[in-house]
Amino acid sequence: MARVIEYIYRDSIIHQLNPLSKLAWALGVMVLALTFNDPYYLLALLISVGLVGLTGRVMKDLSGVMKGLSIFALILVLLQVVFYHGAYREAVTLGIAMGLRMMTVVLSFLVFLSTTQYKDIILVLTEKMKLPYDYVFMFMTSLRFVPTFLNEAIQVGYAQQVRGCPIDSGNPWRKMKAYIAVALPLVLISLKKAERLAIAMETRGYGSNNRTYYKEPIISTLDYFVIFLVVVLIIGAIILRCKGLGVLH
Amino acid sequence: MTTSNNSLIQLNNFSYQYPHTANNALKSINLSLKKGSFVGFAGPTGAGKTTLIKSINGIVPHFEGGTFSGEVLLNGKAADTMSTAEIGRSVGTVLDDPEAQIICLDVEQELVFGMENYGVPPAEMEQRMQKALASVGIAHLLGRSTASLSGGQKQRLAIAAALAMLPEVLVLDEPTSELDPLGSEEVFRVLKQLHQEQGMTILVTEQKTDLLARYCDQLVILREGEMVLSGTPREVFQHPDIFELGVALPEVTELARRYYPQAEPPITLDEGVQFCRNVIQTFGG
Amino acid sequence: MNPVIKIDGLSFGYEFGDSVLKDIYLEISPGEMVALVGQNGAGKTTLVKHLIGLLRPPAGKVRVADLDVANTRVSKLSRQVGYVFQNPDHQIFHDTVQAEVAFGLNNLGLPREEVEPRVTAALSDVGLEHLANENPQRLSRGQRQRVALASVLALRTPVIVLDEPTTGQDYQERKQIMALVEQLNKAGHTIVFITHDMSLVAHYASRVVVLCQGQIILDGDTREVFRQTDKLAESLLLPPQVTVLANQLNEPLNTSVSPVILSVDEMQEYLQRVREVKRNGAGD
Repeated sequence: MARVIEYIYRDSIIHQLNPLSKLAWALGVMVLALTFNDPYYLLALLISVGLVGLTGRVMKDLSGVMKGLSIFALILVLLQVVFYHGAYREAVTLGIAMGLRMMTVVLSFLVFLSTTQYKDIILVLTEKMKLPYDYVFMFMTSLRFVPTFLNEAIQVGYAQQVRGCPIDSGNPWRKMKAYIAVALPLVLISLKKAERLAIAMETRGYGSNNRTYYKEPIISTLDYFVIFLVVVLIIGAIILRCKGLGVLH
Repeated sequence: MTTSNNSLIQLNNFSYQYPHTANNALKSINLSLKKGSFVGFAGPTGAGKTTLIKSINGIVPHFEGGTFSGEVLLNGKAADTMSTAEIGRSVGTVLDDPEAQIICLDVEQELVFGMENYGVPPAEMEQRMQKALASVGIAHLLGRSTASLSGGQKQRLAIAAALAMLPEVLVLDEPTSELDPLGSEEVFRVLKQLHQEQGMTILVTEQKTDLLARYCDQLVILREGEMVLSGTPREVFQHPDIFELGVALPEVTELARRYYPQAEPPITLDEGVQFCRNVIQTFGG
Repeated sequence: MNPVIKIDGLSFGYEFGDSVLKDIYLEISPGEMVALVGQNGAGKTTLVKHLIGLLRPPAGKVRVADLDVANTRVSKLSRQVGYVFQNPDHQIFHDTVQAEVAFGLNNLGLPREEVEPRVTAALSDVGLEHLANENPQRLSRGQRQRVALASVLALRTPVIVLDEPTTGQDYQERKQIMALVEQLNKAGHTIVFITHDMSLVAHYASRVVVLCQGQIILDGDTREVFRQTDKLAESLLLPPQVTVLANQLNEPLNTSVSPVILSVDEMQEYLQRVREVKRNGAGD
């Protein structure tokens, strides 16, 4: 889980792109994925996203997550088959479309997050998108603490198990009760950590006015090209959609 | 009120009470520290060490709330009239838990965090960053992720991050409590160096009294919110009441005090060896 | 006597990374008080986690109280081994000290009339009986550490493992906790404790095991281990100040080797004897 949202350092053209154009790309992929529901169109889209991931040399690192997602997609297909009121064939096609759509959107954001540094994301969201710095920073910092949190969860689990807490019990009711013994200390610890962190940030001038940024990511010609391409693709998709292509009835 | 103008930090009759508590955490503290001091604070749990540090970096009362009387002056200016961020420009803070005070994912970002907040021109950051890292001896770690550092390295990074903001004083609250002996020594060696080479003013609380004895110029013992002893480590360890105050003495000091309760005791190993040679040579017994 | 802990060629490595433990052989007899020392990352915590099944050894490699840890549930092992974690906050979640201490006993399914006296006894052992109805979150770190200790004591296990029980504690609290551990040992419990504080080791342990990069490099009587200054230096450990002091004085008395001094009391006695020897020598 922890690895899902981690920045992966590689030397690639995707890494060098401005976060803004990568964000535009990910959002564009989302719009395209929502525009069509023909599995072939969606498959093509997914492959294109995969190619971007390959160019960014992060697909190997994301393969574990993608495996999990495929299983999830398969469940989506099954659910469609079970609950869809209509022809069996139609249900399967719709289920596959939903699965592909989900995988495409998630993968595009994973590629964005794993090829872009946190600080650059913060910078783009606050300076370019004009979102409030406090919220963006807190959100990104809470992501940063996910691995720490998971590690704490393991330690708490250990500490309760050695007092005979039946986390390894087969009985689901006992097991659920046991998890309360893990959840509560975890909440208390996180509150304490959050307070420490807040103190550390305050004493280092968090919340002063007129902040600066050490390194601002540059916007290159390639970035303009990427953004232009995304816009063209979206317009093209809307035209296709209006003509009734790529949509199943 | 006495306001001497050559004190960097001055506490006048300062008392403080945390919200929802019955007793004062600090009771009428009077303390005046000049630029270039290296002061250690010791005392049992609940003595008020952490609260004292927090009163100097503005966390008390700004962040914690509560009530206070008396005043804390930084360069002659009352600390309660300044915001924590404003105080942070002149007072750099290092906390005990290396995990909770590292804010960012990589070393570089951690160092520029404070500078960005204070609006330091980007062109200046590079140079300040290099200098801060070099001062704590971790220049080679610039490209690393913070998660990959050892406890001692994390604490040195926290010191460097504070130094990059060019503070006048560094306050550290039990910076070695989560570290092993090597890591602890590492941190204090860096502090000593900062003090000697850059004249940095350093205030540090610590349970390991032998570290304070070896590195600090001045030692302050607190108990139940009061300042009970203050002086050079040797003077403090020589005091007749020291055994009642719940602080550990270096073993050589404890040994020497059994022979000569009144005399100036040794506080380092080398002094201890010399002391024992003298004891042996005086024969008798 | 049969060992209560028997580790037979245990090695361990996490999925990604170097091996953490290499070929560990260790036998601990009932009633021993063993200090486990070494730098951070030497493998101390990893080793003791194998004693209660938090990490699973291969079959037959680790036996505790005649149970093969490899195929025994943690909840069953926890009746034999009490484990006190370094950070009390990892376990405390009840709103009274009393309920916190009763938690493990309730998990064992003990009847109420047995739980209550055990809780009271454990709290009085750690000196917190007056705070039985207090909320643990309002206590100091040292007091919370003692609550965690009491909640393990109440289980009355033959073996007790303590992972850095004195971290974050002041001088008096450290002495109190170790005095209690010593008392438990005298009452027959087998104790294994991890610490960085060499004077605690010198004062309380009868046996010291030194781990360095996943291997046991020294194992023996406390005095014998502290005699091996070179080997200790290799794993970057420094014996207590008085031990080094006596070593540097290098006054061998009448024997060929100078004694290993473990406390200020011993140092005082030793100086006395050196003086006597010198006086007699001068009198000849």
